[in-house]
Amino acid sequence: MTFWVWLSVGVYIALGMAVAIAARRQMGAGMNEFFLGNRQVGGFISAMTYAATTYSAFMMIGLAGLTYKSGVGALGFELTYLCGLFLVVFFGPRFWLVGRKFNYLTHAELLADRYQSKAVGVTACVLCFVFLVPYVAIQIMGIGYLLDGLSGGAIPMVAGMVIAIVLGIAWSNIAGLRSVAWTDAFQALIMICTSLAVLLVVIQTGFGGFGNFFARMNAGIPDLLTVPAGTGLWSINMFIGLALPWLFFCLSNPQVTQRLFIPGSVTAFKQMIGGFLIFGFVYTIISVLWGFAARLLVPGLESADMATPTLLAMSMVPRALALVVMIGIMAAAISTIDSILLTLSSMWARDIHRGVINPKVSAKSELAIARRWVIPIIAIVSFIFAWWAAGKTGLAFMIVPLSSAASAGLLMAVPTIIAAFFWKRATAAGALSSMIAGAVTVLVFQVSGFRPFGLWPAVWGIAVCLILFIAVSLATSPPVEKADEFIDYLREELPKRNFV
Amino acid sequence: MVKKAFRGWLGWFVFLLVLDLVIPWVVLSDVPKASGALLFWPLWALVAVISCFIHFLNWKEVD
Repeated sequence: MTFWVWLSVGVYIALGMAVAIAARRQMGAGMNEFFLGNRQVGGFISAMTYAATTYSAFMMIGLAGLTYKSGVGALGFELTYLCGLFLVVFFGPRFWLVGRKFNYLTHAELLADRYQSKAVGVTACVLCFVFLVPYVAIQIMGIGYLLDGLSGGAIPMVAGMVIAIVLGIAWSNIAGLRSVAWTDAFQALIMICTSLAVLLVVIQTGFGGFGNFFARMNAGIPDLLTVPAGTGLWSINMFIGLALPWLFFCLSNPQVTQRLFIPGSVTAFKQMIGGFLIFGFVYTIISVLWGFAARLLVPGLESADMATPTLLAMSMVPRALALVVMIGIMAAAISTIDSILLTLSSMWARDIHRGVINPKVSAKSELAIARRWVIPIIAIVSFIFAWWAAGKTGLAFMIVPLSSAASAGLLMAVPTIIAAFFWKRATAAGALSSMIAGAVTVLVFQVSGFRPFGLWPAVWGIAVCLILFIAVSLATSPPVEKADEFIDYLREELPKRNFV
Repeated sequence: MVKKAFRGWLGWFVFLLVLDLVIPWVVLSDVPKASGALLFWPLWALVAVISCFIHFLNWKEVD
């Protein structure tokens, strides 16, 4: 099996490289081109890169693992994220319009300009760096688990983790967003087709069809079909604590908000949202059913995140299909890694280097810093974090809770982002105090495990964040001229396109 | 017009989120079957997805 795993990985790398190099032929010059595809990306590619960036090792490894361990609450948690796309329907067009009007590259640049404060932009960047590194690490861990499990330990976790990080660096560097988006589209199609195929095979060969599968679930694991579940794991506090950051994921995560700048037209924007919604719905159902199938077929695993690799290694799954699914999951993780590396490098180059360190830097140097320095450094730091976390066990070190913890920190920028679009009274001081105090609250509660009244860190963090944002904004002076220009522009433009 | 549409959108969004909690934890907490929360959540998500489609299919290009 080990030989075939290595061969599959080799073929995948070769194909991915070919796609990335083909994308390079389309690439022009400049920051907008490298990081946003010159804001001219088509609907299909936009939808697939949105999907592949969002859905990653998290789904077929992490969500399947959480379902394996805790049951149906995992489904509600993930579908709540999908419902959060309501926010994209509302805020997406606003990002898109002001991005074109004011030439924003990142959401931190948008905030710095809207609040007329470089400190706001830098703080938004720091939040992203602090909380996205664990998220990148999770993807790296996912690939490590996968190769380790499928090869029966012959390929150590660290080898998979090294492959992930090297490919992430390469594909984000070759042609920026174009190579990332093209490889994402290629990989998203593999993800959805192969995961659906393997689920159908397992349901048929392992259970004799869906009717029997659901009957086995009813008889064998009834505790996992309700919330809070027989184990009591899915308390409503845990659900809210995990789902709240997920609900606002589409606004809080910069690798996602940056994609709101890229569609080339309103039609492309509609295709991006529609394509993503369909993809997300199907992929979520597949991942959760997969987790339940693993629970019935391979109960008693020590680490729930090993459920998928273990099930794929079973004899009922044809070897070729297992290998293709493995590639699909690996591709999903790497597509998230390279997207985040690309976005964080753009934030460092634009919002910190140009914004604060050297405002006179040339566009060429700005791009070189992002590509040659920032991408590799973030990748290495993420690798070290993944290495450390991969040896740990328990709920806090499972892929899903780690992901949600990362998003809990990023959630602290959401009031600042939302207010930028429609509260003229919002101020830079309010934004700064809320982001900093909210993030510190989340970090302290996360690290200490302190949960007053059973409420999770995200809930306490957002409460502190909101109170401070409103109170401090009301006590300080807003940037009136910019707020008028920004919000009045939207008021004028939104109705022209029937945006809500 | 935009304000009215926004209020409707926000109200519907909040209503869906309330259902997201109330139905599984209150109504279906004693239904340990695949026809319980496992069926509810996909149907609930489908309503949310269709609502998004209804909103954005009205968007139009401007020359």
